[in-house]
Amino acid sequence: MNEFNPNILAFCCNWCSYAGADLAGVNRLQMPPNVNVVRVMCSASVKPEYIFKAVSQGIDGVLVLGCHIGDCHYLTGNHRTAKRIPLAARLLGKVGIDPRRVRLDWVSAAEGEKFQQVVTEFVEDVKKLGPNPMKEVRF
Amino acid sequence: MRLAFEEKGADYLLATRDEHGNVAPVLLKKGDEPGTLRVDVPYQMAMILTKVNKFVKEGKIAVVARRCDERAIAELVKRDLLDQSRLNLIGLACSAEQVKECRCTDPCPSVVDFGECAEPSGDDASVARLLDMSLSDRLGFWIAQFRKCNKCFGCTLNCPVCFCDECLLEDKTFTPEKGIPPGLAFHLIRAIHLADKCVECGECERSCPVDIPLLSLRKMVSQDMKELFDYVSGDSERRSPLLTTLEGDPMEDDANVC
Amino acid sequence: MSVDHILTTCPYCGTGCNFFLQVANRRVVGVVPCKTDETSKGSLCIKGYNAHAFVNHPDRLTHPMVKKGGQLTETTWDEAIGKIVSELKRVASAYGTDSIMVLASAKCTNEENYLFQKLARMAIGTNNVDHCARLCHASTVAGLLQSFGSGAMTNTIPEFENADCVLVTGSNTLEAHPLIGARVLKAKEKGAKVVVVDPRDTPLSRVATMSLRQQSGTDVAWINGMINVIISEGLHDKEFVDSRTSGFDELREVVRGYPPEKVEEIAGIPKDDLVKAARIYASAEKAMIAYAMGITQHSNGTNLVRALANLAMITGNVGRESTGVNPLRGQCNVQGACDAGALPNLYPGYQSVEDDETHAKFEKAWGGKLPGKKGMTLTCAFNQALTGDVKAMLIFGENPMMSDPDTGHVEAAISKLEFLAVVDIFPTETAKLADVVLPAACYAEKDGTFTATDRAIRAVRKAADPPGDARPDWKIACDLGKKLGSEGFEFESPEQIMVEMAAVAPIYGGVDYARIEREMVRWPCPTKDHPGTKVLHTESFKIGKGVFAPVEHTPPAEETSEDFPFILTTGRNLFHFHTGTMTRRSVKLQREAPNPYVEVNPVDARALGISDDASVRVSSRRGSITLSARVTPWIRPGTIFIPFHYVEAAANRLTNNALDPIAQIPEFKVCAASVEKA
Repeated sequence: MNEFNPNILAFCCNWCSYAGADLAGVNRLQMPPNVNVVRVMCSASVKPEYIFKAVSQGIDGVLVLGCHIGDCHYLTGNHRTAKRIPLAARLLGKVGIDPRRVRLDWVSAAEGEKFQQVVTEFVEDVKKLGPNPMKEVRF
Repeated sequence: MRLAFEEKGADYLLATRDEHGNVAPVLLKKGDEPGTLRVDVPYQMAMILTKVNKFVKEGKIAVVARRCDERAIAELVKRDLLDQSRLNLIGLACSAEQVKECRCTDPCPSVVDFGECAEPSGDDASVARLLDMSLSDRLGFWIAQFRKCNKCFGCTLNCPVCFCDECLLEDKTFTPEKGIPPGLAFHLIRAIHLADKCVECGECERSCPVDIPLLSLRKMVSQDMKELFDYVSGDSERRSPLLTTLEGDPMEDDANVC
Repeated sequence: MSVDHILTTCPYCGTGCNFFLQVANRRVVGVVPCKTDETSKGSLCIKGYNAHAFVNHPDRLTHPMVKKGGQLTETTWDEAIGKIVSELKRVASAYGTDSIMVLASAKCTNEENYLFQKLARMAIGTNNVDHCARLCHASTVAGLLQSFGSGAMTNTIPEFENADCVLVTGSNTLEAHPLIGARVLKAKEKGAKVVVVDPRDTPLSRVATMSLRQQSGTDVAWINGMINVIISEGLHDKEFVDSRTSGFDELREVVRGYPPEKVEEIAGIPKDDLVKAARIYASAEKAMIAYAMGITQHSNGTNLVRALANLAMITGNVGRESTGVNPLRGQCNVQGACDAGALPNLYPGYQSVEDDETHAKFEKAWGGKLPGKKGMTLTCAFNQALTGDVKAMLIFGENPMMSDPDTGHVEAAISKLEFLAVVDIFPTETAKLADVVLPAACYAEKDGTFTATDRAIRAVRKAADPPGDARPDWKIACDLGKKLGSEGFEFESPEQIMVEMAAVAPIYGGVDYARIEREMVRWPCPTKDHPGTKVLHTESFKIGKGVFAPVEHTPPAEETSEDFPFILTTGRNLFHFHTGTMTRRSVKLQREAPNPYVEVNPVDARALGISDDASVRVSSRRGSITLSARVTPWIRPGTIFIPFHYVEAAANRLTNNALDPIAQIPEFKVCAASVEKA
């Protein structure tokens, strides 16, 4: 049987995490190739709707990466992220989708290595969870 | 109930009464013939109030409100969608039967003008049963429920705290399904939008033509809000934690964002 | 400032939900569901919640218009009515009264339809009056009349909840009758078995206990097949068959020709599934059959209805609660329009125009001479217009340019008419071709009654004034009647009309407005102290014994060929209603389903090289339309589906006007078509 290769969506904020991802690339850090990066202006612009749409359409895992608290380009944008993403993850759990398919973390522009580490860990975690059951569901 | 006008000094009374062999919501003006007023059929008066309020711009409105209406009104007042000074609440206590149906933990209005407060309901057995299920069983349960949805928008339209003019659920970006049923995202989006304002009145579940247990879903989200932020919606003092910083300072001026 | 809540009845499907129209300063602004209403119980569907949206639409007709120099120009009521009267008189004297056709409307109230048929029969002097029931349940009225003696739903909507088995066929219940569909789901929650037989996978079939997909146009085969299984396994109700029915032996002989293997061959339903479904239906204590257009709109529609009646009678599922044969009627008042006699062969209350006694009774009641011979049907009228036998038409609230099969044919027929008058609320495709257009009041602007599919008579109440000069249809009909020189059109209110209708139609005998205010009355209700009737045929059938009809499978009128390899079937979707006149002017409904589409199975799509949302051309022998493809597994390979709401790609440009010989209903559900990339 083929090994399960999860399909993962990573929302990265423009000011920190996307630059962090860039740095990881420039430094040629090895990472699993499962991640599709979506650049957003702020982690706070990742509405829970995006996550729900992705998950209900069969994405195996969603990563939300933003600036560390205190470093937000918009001052308090990531405060909002810090509150709403855990709530969204829990809600997924309530309808039977493992909340561990959603992970929130902070990656600064200088943290290429952290980006590598978060991505690698998350891909491993999602691999353990197996494919998103929504793939098999037809409404 | 005529006393509402004199005692509370209101210009209008929003209540329910007998009409054409049915029970109808009615907005009475001072001096109108009241007919046979009724309090036993649970119309969600807060929802009707928001609709009426769009047209009645002046004068005080007295509303027959149950505890959940009262809490919904508190949420709306906080968001500047209703003017507290123009409202008079006439407290209506729910019957024990109604409390049981809603699995209501907070049935008693702050001032009781009608009825007697029933005992609050204990833990919600249907929520407990859902939380006991394995993840895959729970997903199976909800998929089977959501598959029945025929997108009437009743849960949204009858919700006392759903107030956006342009509803995101009508946006094809997030609910791209053509036809019915709408997919999982439809119900999740609605659940998260209500996270910090749902007062668990149960109107969504009551108006669902196909009996999707929406109140159970709401109760689970409310439980999360309590665990994560120690917040209970309907609190007239506290701002929604989703609209404050981690330290609890207000984050935006426009508090009435969805 | 005032905000009122006016209880009224929904203007869309035949379920008959009541709700409150919210009225602010005499303007309809919203809808609030009614919690105490027996039918809707505080729920509505998306169409119901948006039933206020079209009322104040700027497209509403506000002034009478008369065609001058090829242009419709605004005029006064006097001139417009005068023009209609003089033209009708001219045509009548030149070609005879039977060259005039009146189309009544299933969107108008009982009282109005009563006046329309009276107008045709008394004032004009012809039985040529029909309405769109011809296009939906004409085969039900004809078929059930022969089998049971009454052409209406045998049971009521709330009874669905308590059934042990519900067999749904040819009905996309959750989309077309959402609240009835919801009731079927409630029954399922309580443990009932729901069996859906439909060539499309509908939202209901996806949650059903069993879902069978037959080839379009093979329904007699599978119904006979089920009856065969039931008889050969001895599951039929012998006592019921012996005491209440006739013709069993002939039926048994015929269905013997439909063993499961043969049914599989004809209809494509796996034989084990058929046997299983038959056992489920036959072994249920209380089993209901619900059906709609998928059964009736065939060139053998009447036979299909009779086959379903056979199935119900063989298992004794008639005349008790939560059983029966239940046609789901699609328009708010299509039941009432039939009841009120807007049919060419029947007076109000299903009394034959060719019966001498009845004829005399109506001449006496109305005080004038009435034509003795039955009139022509709607479908027939357009054929006759083409041959020049029909010269003038008076159309109340119908849009045949969209709703009738083979639009090209209808268009040609209308262009041959010498005179066409249309009364409507919007400038429909038909109104655009008219010589005189009169603006009518919509459901929210008049009083009256609708009769729901389960025979419940429901009040319609005025919530606002009509826009501009528009008038309610009953006033227009009264004016026309008086101006045509006839007596018996001096009504001051719809209530007075109901009094007269109750006096001449025994099934409405006990109906009056005071009662409707208090309670829900279902006909037959012959006297004031009669409680109304929930379940029909409890003791005996209206014609004594129920009649089994040995019917054979016949292929549809048009079969697929090399050039037209697909079977095209048409129908509704959830968000729109019929010709879209009202729903496509409702913002939220239009947003949900803005564009015409054709459903194609992925297998076919791959073979044709079509992707989802691609533009395709669909053609039949009668025309072709261009629309976007919706690639979906919910439809059978080889079959395509087009909703008929969209004028820009009107499905009825393609459909076949082959008629059922008895009911003269056209075959909307099957025609041969081709699909290609556009």
